[in-house]
Amino acid sequence: MIFRSIRWRLQIWHGLMMVGVLIGFGVTAYQLERATRMHQVDQELEERQRNLRQSLREGAREGPPDGPPGRRGDAPPPRHGLHLPPHLSRYFSKENSPAYYGVIWTRDGQQLGRSDTAPVDVPSPGRVRPEAGTITRTRGTVREAYSATPPGEVVLAGRSIVPELAALRSFALGLLAVGGGVLGIGLAGGWFLVSRVIRPIHAISETAGRIAAGKLSERIRTEEADSELGRLAAVLNGTFARLDDAFAQQRQFTADASHELRTPVSVILSQTQATLARPRSPEEYRATLEACQRSAQRMRRLITSLLELARLDAGQDPMDRQKFDLAKTVGDALELVGPLGEERSVRWTTDLSSAPCTGDAEKISQVVTNLLTNAIHHNRDQGEVRVTVRAEEGGAVLTVADTGVGIAEADLPHVFRRFFRADKARSHGDGRTGLGLAICQAIVDAHQGRLSVTSLPGAGSTFTLRLPAA
Amino acid sequence: MRILLVEDETDLLSSLALALREGGYAVDTAADGEEGLYKAMNWSYDAIVLDVMLPKLDGWTVLARLRKAKKTPVLMLTARDAGRDRVRGLDTGADDYLVKPFDLDELLARLRALIRRSAGHASNGLQIGEVLIDTAARTVSRAGKHVELTAREYALVEFLALHRGEVVTRTTLYEHLFDEDDSTLSNLLDVHVSNVRKKLGHDLIATRRGHGYQVDGPDGDIP
Repeated sequence: MIFRSIRWRLQIWHGLMMVGVLIGFGVTAYQLERATRMHQVDQELEERQRNLRQSLREGAREGPPDGPPGRRGDAPPPRHGLHLPPHLSRYFSKENSPAYYGVIWTRDGQQLGRSDTAPVDVPSPGRVRPEAGTITRTRGTVREAYSATPPGEVVLAGRSIVPELAALRSFALGLLAVGGGVLGIGLAGGWFLVSRVIRPIHAISETAGRIAAGKLSERIRTEEADSELGRLAAVLNGTFARLDDAFAQQRQFTADASHELRTPVSVILSQTQATLARPRSPEEYRATLEACQRSAQRMRRLITSLLELARLDAGQDPMDRQKFDLAKTVGDALELVGPLGEERSVRWTTDLSSAPCTGDAEKISQVVTNLLTNAIHHNRDQGEVRVTVRAEEGGAVLTVADTGVGIAEADLPHVFRRFFRADKARSHGDGRTGLGLAICQAIVDAHQGRLSVTSLPGAGSTFTLRLPAA
Repeated sequence: MRILLVEDETDLLSSLALALREGGYAVDTAADGEEGLYKAMNWSYDAIVLDVMLPKLDGWTVLARLRKAKKTPVLMLTARDAGRDRVRGLDTGADDYLVKPFDLDELLARLRALIRRSAGHASNGLQIGEVLIDTAARTVSRAGKHVELTAREYALVEFLALHRGEVVTRTTLYEHLFDEDDSTLSNLLDVHVSNVRKKLGHDLIATRRGHGYQVDGPDGDIP
């Protein structure tokens, strides 16, 4: 759904926040404006109310403004209309706009008088305590201010606030319009910003998509290496590079494996086709069958090794972990491999001291045998193989040093690579699959051990196997 | 036709050599790149079958060095069928390319085509007067009638026919018709020539005294 995209979510959040801020701002501005206007009205009203009170007091001194003089405190008949002194009457005249009005009540709530401009139905504010000061109130479209004189009369001045209300309404409308405009601009700006932020993300996901579709050599362009997205792109690029490498290695391995299988198959094909082309003697048939057998055996060795590697890769090979003495394993292997050295007059020098370690003794024995046969295989005639086993802090160490041609420095890092052959001259037909050391490496890795090699070209190579004690 | 076979896989080398010899070729063999290059530089072969993965010198290097001196047609054998390898082989100067495992028939057919093309002929049929040579079936007919030739006799006729119009020296004929293991003597060549003349007519092969032999004739390839 489109609204679940980051763009829309950001946009919606951004919009909601803007609306909130604008409403808050608008309401505050409106309230301030309203308060200012009301304050102004109130001041005017207060002034008139004060004047009205003043005139009431003066009136009291001079006697009631109209009617016969009477004792104060008597319940005077309700009077309508106020006889104001001229300086006051213009305050409350109808010519004023807006028209002010004034009303006076006795302390009992009886209307004492009111100006001509006052509406008939101004309700009495009731009993008001003099010390309460001036009180203001809004009734519909009028605002009124009143207070009580010390004796208890209530004096009220009021006026219509229709113009103020109209002004406030148009102010509110103005606020609404400006707010809407700001919201629109803000949303557009947000859209623009989000687009800018999203664009590199789109670029990344598009590139990643192409890479996922198989174009493994592609990389995300990182123009801003320091930004968060730049770092993300760099991390992704690193991941892609490793993936690419892994795939390349896989392809290389498959190509190598098929290459190794093609050769024996081509031997079988050409041997059988050449032989079957015409009738042959039994000896010729025999020779052909023997050649086919050799090829088949070679394929079997290769397949066995490939399967073993595949199992090790998948971690399927159950490692029978137990404590054993590496020196004993090496001793047993030497007994087995020893006679091989005699064919080439290779001399064994051994120094085996007990070295306990943990692992699958049978698998380790396979590694040891491989290292020993390699040492003979790559040795010179009348050479020497030095085998030492010793305990070391944290584990056991086996070194196998030969006096052969050694390994060129450029080849050293590749010695454990699958199908790698430093010695191209021995590439075929010597019964070696080119997987021996790779398998050793995989077995040692599964034991959390280490298999390493150093070499002095022309003088010999030394393979070192380290196994953890526990 | 004499062919050099460079292949380090003994069982493959022996069967290929057998098949080629039985196909009527004189075959020299080499088991590594150095030996192969040496032989290729010092004898003139009609074609070379060269494996890519070789000890001492790999096939690419052999091919590159050979190409600086000779134009001998080369058919590369490889166990990799990646397009890149194919392009590289053809770019380095290989004339054809065969991926292991291959069928012997295909190897033989490609070799025939290579040799034919390098001699400047486009088809398998050659006609000289009333003599018709089918290089694919390795048969010869005269005036529509099949003529039975021995392998050597056929090779002689085919070589001269492919180089029609040129005077071919006896040395060249020895180089191309007999391999390094043949202990035949020069007289044998005269015997073959005389036998061919008996079977295909005396004017097919002309003797150029002091120079060698020549097959003449205006006729071209048979499409």
